[in-house]
Amino acid sequence: MEDPSRLLIVDDNEDILSTFYEFFNSMGYEVKTAVDGFAALKLLRDKSNFFDCLITDLVMPNISGVGLISIVKKEYPHLKIIAMTGYGDQPGALASEAEADVVLFKPIDLFKIENTVAELINQAKDNKKK
Amino acid sequence: MSTPLIGVSKSILKIKELINHVANTCLNVLITGETGVGKEVVAQNLYAESARSTKNFVKINCAALPETLLESELFGYEKGAFTGAHKKRPGKFQTADKGVLFLDEIGDMPMALQSKMLHVLQSGEFSPLGSDQEFKTDVWVIAATNHNLEESIHKKTFREDLFYRLNIIKIDVPPLRERKEDIPSLLEYYYRLYKSEYPDNHGSKPDSDIIAKLCNYPWPGNVRQLQNCIKKQMILNSWAKIIEELPQEHPESVPQIETDIRMNGAARPKINEINDDRTSIISKFVDLSTSSEKLFEDISLKKIKKLASDRVEKEVILFVLEKVGWNRSRAAKILKISYKTLLYKMNEFDISPPVK
Ligand SMILES: Nc1ncnc2c1ncn2[C@@H]1O[C@H](COP(=O)(O)OP(=O)(O)O)[C@@H](O)[C@H]1O
Repeated sequence: MEDPSRLLIVDDNEDILSTFYEFFNSMGYEVKTAVDGFAALKLLRDKSNFFDCLITDLVMPNISGVGLISIVKKEYPHLKIIAMTGYGDQPGALASEAEADVVLFKPIDLFKIENTVAELINQAKDNKKK
Repeated sequence: MSTPLIGVSKSILKIKELINHVANTCLNVLITGETGVGKEVVAQNLYAESARSTKNFVKINCAALPETLLESELFGYEKGAFTGAHKKRPGKFQTADKGVLFLDEIGDMPMALQSKMLHVLQSGEFSPLGSDQEFKTDVWVIAATNHNLEESIHKKTFREDLFYRLNIIKIDVPPLRERKEDIPSLLEYYYRLYKSEYPDNHGSKPDSDIIAKLCNYPWPGNVRQLQNCIKKQMILNSWAKIIEELPQEHPESVPQIETDIRMNGAARPKINEINDDRTSIISKFVDLSTSSEKLFEDISLKKIKKLASDRVEKEVILFVLEKVGWNRSRAAKILKISYKTLLYKMNEFDISPPVK
């Protein structure tokens, strides 16, 4: 059997975080969570090649989602990135500028985001095979 | 050499760890916190731990300069850009190139300059005053403010887009009263520092009793105020006196006090003083000691206006009459009212010459 895909989900809202955790877990993913960009960065630095995809909120204390995306793009370029935003279009635009692979607007449909995750990860695997 | 970030509290330890993780990212940083908490120390530590530490750390205080001067300081100017621009001068964006530009009090930057800042942050290019050329700049922007910028955005005094662009990494430095554990180590550090700078001073170290007292004080001026106390101790050598002289204010009212040099060239009076002044004026015309329901019934702008102007008029009329030895026609001329009006007013205000 294939290894499960590994996700890192970052949001400072613990309710959203646990909903995402339960959902992706039940869909067969291996999921780790972080409550802000700094906690996420520490997880990434600890296990740099562990994750396949990062799903992050944008407006958070200490390291914002935009900051996290910029750092990840530079240090872990293989990692796919989905940004979620609920605050008008400013942070969303900055996330695109920081080259998030996909920017989604809240409220977010869990099945839709799962589709996006699967697509991104498959793309990455195909690219690797080539 | 830059100041180390002293402290053992959770928040300071976390800030140190964060600095360590982001110092080499060159992502824009926004440092928030009350005046004197150590925002500049955090900025210097970011710089010192980064690969840019061999280049310049350039600081500019956005609250201390009038708008046009701030603009020319930031962007520089060409010869002849304005009267007095006798020769070309580089701006901070140029001197900070490859290094750090520390924008202190960014919350006080005028709106027009905020737009220009945004442009530089977006494009990495700027143009000096009087030049139509754009120059590339590679600066790491670290900004600091004691304002709540979300509130400023609400009040339309700060651009939302600039806020999001600066707020990529946000470091909030809590006031000293929320991290009392840091006080003993700060005392120790600055006591030693000042002692080494002035070995002849005999101020003694605080004993545990004094340290406990100092830890219980709310420090509205934060670390800067603590430093001043230690300096004072070096000269006075009396902790008892220093503690006695610490201003006892409500901590909530203090962070609001800022000096705004641009507005009036001098420190603004404290909020408390304004409030005191205000109540003392109002209390002359309405009874403030009653319940607010009754008070609101008593307050009427028209009524108060009449009471206030009567009171002033009476004093002015008396003043002039006394000056002219109660010569009423002269007084009327000076006051630029008719003789009849003066008599009427004297009657209304119950003014009569002193009985000899
Ligand atoms: N954690 C700290 N460790 C050592 N010195 C500090 C610390 N925090 C503040 N200071 C000192 O206190 C003074 C005020 O700090 P500063 O960084 O200028 O405050 P702010 O920029 O927040 O107004 C400075 O002299 C600074 O060196």
